[in-house]
This record gives sequence, structure tokens and C-alpha cells, in this order.
Amino acid sequence: MYACQKIQTVQKFPFTLSNPPTNTKRLTKYIVLLCFTKFLKAVGLFESYDLLKAVHIVQFIFILKLGTAFFMVLFQKPFSSGKTITKHQWIKIFKHAVAGCIISLLWFFGLTLCGPLRTLLLFEHSDIVVISLLSVLFTSSGGGPAKTRGAAFFIIAVICLLLFDNDDLMAKMAEHPEGHHDSALTHMLYTAIAFLGVADHKGGVLLLVLALCCKVGFHTASRKLSVDVGGAKRLQALSHLVSVLLLCPWVIVLSVTTESKVESWFSLIMPFATVIFFVMILDFYVDSICSAKMEVSKCARYGSFPIFISALLFGNFWTHPITDHLRAMNKAAHQESTEHVLSGGVVVSAVFFILSANILSSPSKRGQKGTLIGYSPEGTPLYNFMGDAFQHSSQSIPRFIKESLKQILEESDSRQIFYFLCLNMLFTFVELFYGVLTNSLGLISDGFHMLFDCSALVMGLFAALMSRWKATRIFSYGYGRIEILSGFINGLFLIVIAFFVFMESVARLIDPPELDTHMLTPVSVGGLIVNLIGICAFSHAHSHNHGASQGSCHSSDHSHSHHMHGHSDHGHGHSHGSIGGGMNANMRGVFLHVLADTLGSIGVIVSTILIEQFGWFIADPLCSLFIAILIFLSVVPLIKDACQVLLLRLPSEYEKELHIALEKIQKIEGLISYRDPHFWRHSASVVAGTIHIQVTSDVLEQRIVQQVTGILKDAGVNNLTIQVEKEAYFQHMSGLSTGFHDVLAMTKQMESMKYCKDGTYIM
Amino acid sequence: MGTIHLFRKPQRSFFGKLLQEFRLVAADRRSWKILLFGAINLICTGFLLMWCSSTNSIALTAYTYLTIFDLFSLMTCLISYWVTMRKPSPVYSFGFERLEVLAVFASTVLAQLGALFILKESAERFLEQPEIHTGRLLVGTFVALSFNLFTMLSIRNKPFAYVSEAASTSWLQEHVADLSRSLCGIIPGLSSIFLPRMNPFVLIDLAGAFALCITYMLIEINNYFAVDTASAIAIALMTFGTMYPMSVYSGKVLLQTTPPHVIGQLDKLIREAGSVHVRIRRDANEQMVLAHVTNRLYTLVSTLTVQIFKDDWIRPALLSGPVAANVLNFSDHHIIPMPLLKGTDDLNPVTSTPTKPSSPPPEFSFNSPGKNVNPVILLNTQTRPYGLGLNHGNTPYSSMFNQGLGVPGIGATQGFRTGFTNIPSRYGTNNRIGQSRP
Repeated sequence: MYACQKIQTVQKFPFTLSNPPTNTKRLTKYIVLLCFTKFLKAVGLFESYDLLKAVHIVQFIFILKLGTAFFMVLFQKPFSSGKTITKHQWIKIFKHAVAGCIISLLWFFGLTLCGPLRTLLLFEHSDIVVISLLSVLFTSSGGGPAKTRGAAFFIIAVICLLLFDNDDLMAKMAEHPEGHHDSALTHMLYTAIAFLGVADHKGGVLLLVLALCCKVGFHTASRKLSVDVGGAKRLQALSHLVSVLLLCPWVIVLSVTTESKVESWFSLIMPFATVIFFVMILDFYVDSICSAKMEVSKCARYGSFPIFISALLFGNFWTHPITDHLRAMNKAAHQESTEHVLSGGVVVSAVFFILSANILSSPSKRGQKGTLIGYSPEGTPLYNFMGDAFQHSSQSIPRFIKESLKQILEESDSRQIFYFLCLNMLFTFVELFYGVLTNSLGLISDGFHMLFDCSALVMGLFAALMSRWKATRIFSYGYGRIEILSGFINGLFLIVIAFFVFMESVARLIDPPELDTHMLTPVSVGGLIVNLIGICAFSHAHSHNHGASQGSCHSSDHSHSHHMHGHSDHGHGHSHGSIGGGMNANMRGVFLHVLADTLGSIGVIVSTILIEQFGWFIADPLCSLFIAILIFLSVVPLIKDACQVLLLRLPSEYEKELHIALEKIQKIEGLISYRDPHFWRHSASVVAGTIHIQVTSDVLEQRIVQQVTGILKDAGVNNLTIQVEKEAYFQHMSGLSTGFHDVLAMTKQMESMKYCKDGTYIM
Repeated sequence: MGTIHLFRKPQRSFFGKLLQEFRLVAADRRSWKILLFGAINLICTGFLLMWCSSTNSIALTAYTYLTIFDLFSLMTCLISYWVTMRKPSPVYSFGFERLEVLAVFASTVLAQLGALFILKESAERFLEQPEIHTGRLLVGTFVALSFNLFTMLSIRNKPFAYVSEAASTSWLQEHVADLSRSLCGIIPGLSSIFLPRMNPFVLIDLAGAFALCITYMLIEINNYFAVDTASAIAIALMTFGTMYPMSVYSGKVLLQTTPPHVIGQLDKLIREAGSVHVRIRRDANEQMVLAHVTNRLYTLVSTLTVQIFKDDWIRPALLSGPVAANVLNFSDHHIIPMPLLKGTDDLNPVTSTPTKPSSPPPEFSFNSPGKNVNPVILLNTQTRPYGLGLNHGNTPYSSMFNQGLGVPGIGATQGFRTGFTNIPSRYGTNNRIGQSRP
């Protein structure tokens, strides 16, 4: 009894690391015990699968609970020992029992659906494995690449079971008439699975995954209750007892209304006893002992391995004569051996399950991730470990959505993109839904295509949002350039699309396929309408673009005069917004995207008409060829412009002004020459520039700076840096330990400047 | 597609120019090898695309896109040769080195877009799985693999080598590193092979080939055609993982951000291809300060412009005595508030004039100098708008900035040759004082 109490106290905090006993010999004993128990549990589950063929599932669970409650009450004496249980606690125990019943119902129903082998593989994961899996999937701090790998293995294993496991029972189950099922409950579950549109066996897999998550949540939630009540064992005993009482009326009703398939209950006593003992009691006790003696992670690792292996073994040999003596129920006659047998997919997924259980249960050895904040005087990097905790306390999701929506709707560009994106998404989902409903593959694949297109819109939206962020230390000019980059990426995207359309149409020209045109027209008309709305919305932005991007002298002159005017009173270039709209590569990219989609819809409509009217099957590839070329040609200017900006080219629409401005600078009094004039467009609204000017030594530098700034500002450069150099500067430079060559170059340059005074030198 | 351009006159001249530049590059012997590989790559890709359509395997298609990416990387290599030959032109006043960055960015983005396309295709294939013919699958895999590896290892692709080292590790690399670390825990002898950072391109080639082999095996054994789609998705995801850090890195260069190594080493003083605004005391010698600042910065920044801004020059007569050393920001972007560093002010007349960067220009291209950093200058202070009517906005990232660098003892006296040696220092150079680090 004392030992039990000690175990109980540890059980209260299963996740605190109880100091691991270093005595490996003692550990070995427990490991062997654990392995053996897991083996027996596998036997018990195989047994219960056989039992479930004869016994109704609710009856089965009832008997199981009854037996367990009997044993546990006998051993634990929950009523005579420990403190009394309050009414409040009874209510909690009642809830616990209900949840426990539901989970075991799911579990055993999954067992009937996909057989003991798959059930063991899916359901017998310890809590720690599932918890670390969920933390990898749903939190950013998963715990290093190893855990991510483990999670990926787990998912692969489940997918293997879903996709690559051609269980023979699947076909058999499909033949079942729906009315066959024993009770309303199972019938309900069956119809639920049938509604999902998956085969029963796959439905079972999904059900078991669900049950596994429920189980873990249930265990975690009941931990506090078990402490309150006075130990997990007492709680279990009471809970089983309550669930027996719960299930009692149901079982009575069942046995009255339906006729039993069981010939003699007496012959089932032995199998039931083994199941109760192996699956419920022994497993529970050994688990609690082992988790007390060993680390939880070790316990999970040693526990999972034998149960999966023995599941595989039994899966192969259960119907074999060798194991006959293991089976308490000798009813081999009526079952064929093809049922839920081993398949390649199962073996692969078992291997993956073992691996993932191994990885996920290993204690995470990740160090805290710090953020680099700088370097110490000695040169060692300094990290900040605090930030993590603060970063994770992010704002709630609805609030976040609200905030970002507000940001999106603030400005017209992002607002337009957002509305159009919503429209597009709506259309896509209607299409997908209708496609699924009518089982039309063409519609579904068109829906996927639309989703693919939406990704460009999403990127445009993000760029439009980000371009308004404030400048940071790293993005020292602000985020405005992101729009250009996004326009460039969108251009590349369109080129890729054009390329694929081109390839496809060439392939179709060579080998024209038979087309089924009847579904195409409504879809493409719908797409055309959506895209036409988009074009109407975006054409405003586009007309702007053409004005400025073509660099037509007139329009830019006009806008400049406007700008100059604005400048003279504000002294600052925020009035550039009107010009800035012109170079918005992001909106141009989005517009072209919509245009390309529109072209696609028109092409489909035209080719459909041609095919239906004249039977020209060649029209389809020709149309798409034409469209591909059109898309490509329309994208080229965008890419070219974006490239020029990204390469820091002198903005072409400012070329003339800058030229004049530099000539003006030449004429400033006291200025000898200038060198290294660099002007480039940083983003839609920012034109940056740097220039070095040489002046005579008697000029006041700051006045020169102001004059030059003024001149260049008028020319459109609104982010300017000027280096004023006098004779003395070059002397100082040569005095300082600059490299010889640099000095030489500098002086040479200066001298050449002195003589070469016409502005054409640079421009 | 090219035929269309012939109808338009400016485009033809564009091609003419292209041909001319091409001849220029082709004159170099090094580029012959690349051209040869490019030709082989084209043939190879053609065959692979044919096999893709004959096997109907999307996984092989995804793998073929890696070969196409190789073609892009070869082109990038050619461009980097071309860039070294070109001088800056009037319109491209910084020269063409950025083209290299742009090429890297474009090719990584194209690879990712291809992967996106694969993802879309495989989503469609999950609905209706077509039959895969394994006939040429393995052949194609090994042809592509051996060609990719051969190209990677025999051509020294400068831009991509640089980017793959400078960018952060991809998740594929991280997993391999993690695995090999645990492997080296078992067999320590292997550490020299596995522990160094793996080349991401070699890694993705090997991983993709592995996925294709598994596909072949499973299809041969059990006709699991869905494996093909699954491994296509895997290859596409790996492509994403590999290319994403690189495109982020080169994209940041294109966005004119402050390069991270500069940030880390030298709190924000230095920008490459940069311009700096310096504000000095009224009585300081502008040209001397300029010389000093330039001297300090130009090892880091290839194209440097320093603007000296003198406080109160408009009202010289009114104020007497040294004005508090302030930094005034000329740019309209941001101002970095910094605590005043005590003790540095009076060290010497030159360096006590605080300088401060602003409107910080960015990394220009991959290899622009900047790894060797001299700590410069100190910074401080409050900001105040100057009479020109510039807008100033304070950006609140003071927590990052409350460390400053002081450089005492440079050019302390009139003898300019004394005191300062231009050490291409590591970040630990000892000539800093007064840092307060969090």
C-alpha cells in the first residue's frame, strides 16, 4: 500500500522529471515488464477484435468497464481509503466517466473498422508523443529540426495508412448494405463516415486519429481531478464504476430490443477476462509504475516499440495455426484470412510510426533561442533570451484580423486588391464546391488554377501593405521598394504562366485531344465577368502607369511643374504622391495578372464557339498560343521597368531635368566641379541621389549645400546627400593613411575636374 | 516567342545589342566552358522533358525543373563575367554589379514559381491519378542527377556560391545537419565529411533523386501511382526550402537594405554604396572632419558620400561657445535617437564632433566591401528639425541603439599620420569606449 501511495504522488506530476534512477539493473527490470505488458496488450486487442464480431460494441464496452471496475474497486478500495469525495468532485468524476466512455466507444469502433493492427499503430501513442507532435504543428517553437522531422514522419505514416494501404476489407465493407448495422449508434457513425466520402477503413483511420487526440486531451484534463480525488488509480476505479452505471440502462435496452448473436455467453468469459486483464488493468498498472520509476520520455520510447512490433507480428500470424493457442476464441472457421492483413503500406507506416515515436518522445535538447543583439567589446556575440517569451504573447486572432483589415482598407491600392481577391476567392470556392457536388473534374481543376492565380494577388496585397511600413534600421529607406520587387515577381509569375500555356498549346498542336466543351462556357463566362470587374477596378491605376511609365515628356513635364509648385511652399517632397502613383509596379503586376486571366477566359469562349460551330479542334491550341504570346508581350515592359529600378538606373523620366539641374549646378558661384553623381529611383515616391562637389576654399559649404539641394529637389530628387570637398579635403585625405592608389585617383579626379567644366562630361 | 520581336524595331536592336554583348563575353575563355555546359544542359533538359511526357510522371517533371534552374544558374554565371567587363555607364551610374544580384533573385524566384506550379498540378492529380510508366523514370533520374552534380561541382559559380554561403540555412540543410550531427555522435570519424555546411544544391539534387528512386520502386512493386504525386510535392517543397533563403537574401540586397554583417559589426554607421549625413560643431573644420569620416568609412563602403551639416551656420554671430553636439538628420526618413556618450566629447577636437549616418544607402551587390569594419564615431542625441522645413519622424527603436562606438585617439593632434592606423579590423577592435550594452 505504501508503494502504491508513493507511485500516486509521483503520478500527480508525471511531467516533472522524477529523478531517473541511475541503477540500470533496476531499470532493465521495468523495461522488460513494460515490453511484456505491451505485448500482452497487443494480444488483448486482437482478441477484442475477434470478440467484437460477435458482441455488440456497447455491450462489449459495458462488460469491459464492469470487469475493470470490479477489479479496481477490489484492489484500490476507493470508498474505504482516502478522504471522502465531495459532491462537486462526484460531478467531475461523472464528466470524466462520460468522456472516458465516448473515447473508448470511438476507439473500439475504430477497431471494428480498420482492424487491430492499424488500431494499435494509430492509437497506442503515449501522451508525450502526441503533445510534442501538436506543439510542432501548431506552435512556432517546435523544438528544432529533429522534432519537425518526427512530426513529418508521423504525418507520413498516417498518410501511408490512408493512401497506400489497400486493405482488402475495404471492398468487402463497401458491399455492405447500410441497414445491416446493429444499432442506431453504429449506424450513425457509419453514415457520418459515408458522408465524408471515404471508405470505411479510411474513416476508421481518421476516427482513430481523432480519438487519439481526444485521449490525450482527456488525460491532460483529468490530471488535476486525479490529484483532487487522491490519485489516478482511485479516480480510474470510480470513473469505471460510474461508467458502468451509465452504460447499464443502454445495455438493458439493447439486449431487450435486439436479438443477440452470441450463442453462449459462458464460452466468452475466458476471452473477456483476458481482454479486461491485458488491455485495461495490467496496462494501466504497469504504465503507472514505469512512469514513476523511469523518465516519461524513456517510458514512452520503450513502450511504443514492442507494441508496434508485436502488432505487426500478430497482424501477420494471428490467423495462422501457430497462434491458435494464444487465441481464447477459437472461431477461425468463419473468418477469411484476407481480412485486415499486412500490406506494404502498413509496414511502411509502422516503420514511420516507430521512428516518429522515437524522435518525438526523446527529450528536447534545444537550447533557448536567443536573438542576436550585438557584440561585446571582446567581439563575442551577445544574445537576448528574453524576447522569445514576449514575442509569443501575441495578440488574439480576431484582434489581429481586425487590425490588418483596417490597415488594408486604409488605402485605395490595397483596398482594391483586397476586394478583388475576395471576389476571386468567392468565385473559386463556388466553383470548387460545385465541382465537388457535380463530381466534375474540369471544374475542380479550374478552381485550383484560380487558387494558383490568387497567390499572385495575395502577394500583391502583402506588398501593398508592407510598402507603407515605417522605415527601420535595416530597411533604412523605408519599405517602398517592396512594391517594385513584388511587381517584378509578378512579372516573372506571368512569364512562367505564359511559358506553361505555350508548352501546353504546342503539345496540343502536335496531338490535339478530344475536348468536352459543354461545361466550359458557363465557367469561363463567370470568370470573364469576375475579371472584367477587376479590370474596371484596376484600370484607373493602370492608366496612371501608362502616362508615367512610357516616359512621355509631356505628362512628366506636367507633373513636374505641379511638383515644383508644391515644393516651393512645403520645401519637402511629400507632394510626390501624384507622381508616385505612376510607377507603382505592384499594381501594374496585379493588373496584368487580371488582364491575363481575362484573356484566358475570352480565349476559352472563342475557342468553344469555334469548336461547337465549325468543329475546329485546332482552335483551342491556337487560341492558347496566341494568349501566351500576348501575356508575354504585355509583361515585358513591366519586367524591363522593374529591372531598371532594381538596377538603380537613372530614372528615365527625370533624365532631362537632372541634366539641366547639373548644368545649373555648374554655374553656382564658387563651385569648381562635381563628380560621382548618382541618382536612382528608390521606390515609387523616393528618388535618391548622391553627389560630390568641389568648391573653392573661400566658399561657405553650407550655403553651397543648400543651393545644390534646392536645385536637385526641383529636379525631383527628394533624398539627397552632398559631399562638399575643398582643396583641404584632399590634403587631409592624403595626410590620413588612405591607400596610395586611392589618393592618386582622387587627386587625379580633382585635377581633371578643374579643367573639364562642361556638364556633358558626366551625363 | 522570339519571332514576334522581329516585327518591332527597337526590339531587334535590343537583340543586336544582346548579340554584341554575348560576343564580348564569349571572347573570354572561361565562359566557353559555361557555354558548353549550357548547350549540354539544353539537350539534357529537352530529353528529360520528353521523358516526362512519356512517363507521365510529375515527380520527374519537378526534378527536371531543377535542371532548368541549373541553366539559369549558368546564365547567372555568364552575367557575372559580363558584369566584371562592363564599366558604369551614365545612366547606370553605379555600374552593373547589381545585375548579378538580380539574376540570382530571378532564377531562385523562377525555381519557386515552378515549384508552385508543380504543387498546383499535383493537387489536381490527387483527384484523378493518371497511370505512370516507369520505363524512363530511373534513366531520367540518373541522367538529371549526374548532370546536375557534374555541373555543380565542375563550374565555379561565383554568385551562387556566395549567396548560398551568405544566406541563412534552408530547412533541408538544417535537417541534414541535425541528422549528421547525431550520426557523428555515433561514428566520430565521419565528422569531417558531414559536419561542414552542405551545399544546398547538391543536397536538393540528391534528395530529389532519392525521392524518385523510392517512387520507381513503389510503382514497380505495387503500382502505387500516388507515390509519384507525393514525391513531386516533396521535391517541390524541398525546392521551396532551398531557394527561399537565397531569394530572401538577394531580395534584401535589391531592396537596398542595410546589409546584416554591417549592422551586426558596426552599429549602423556604415552602409555600402552609401551616403552619410554628418553634423558637426560650428567651430570645427569641415574639411578635416570630412576627411576623417571618409577615411574611416571608405574601407567599408565602396561608393561613399558624406554630407557635412553644420549647426547654426545661418546665425553664426549669435551663439558663442560650442553648441551641444547634436546630430541632425537631413533626410526625411528617420532619426535615430541615441544617448549622449559621456567622455568622448572632449577627447579631441576632431572626433568630438559627432557624426551620424542617415539616409543610409545600402548594400550594392554581393561582394561589395564591407566585411572589414572600422568602428567609427560616436553618436548621440536629440533631434530637432532644422529650418529648411524638413519633416522628421522619430523611429522608436532605441533599444537597439543604446550602444555606441567611440573612437578615441584618432588623429588626435595635427599630425595626421599619427594615431590612426587603418586596421581592417574585426569587430572586436579595441578602440571603443563608453558602450553600454544591454
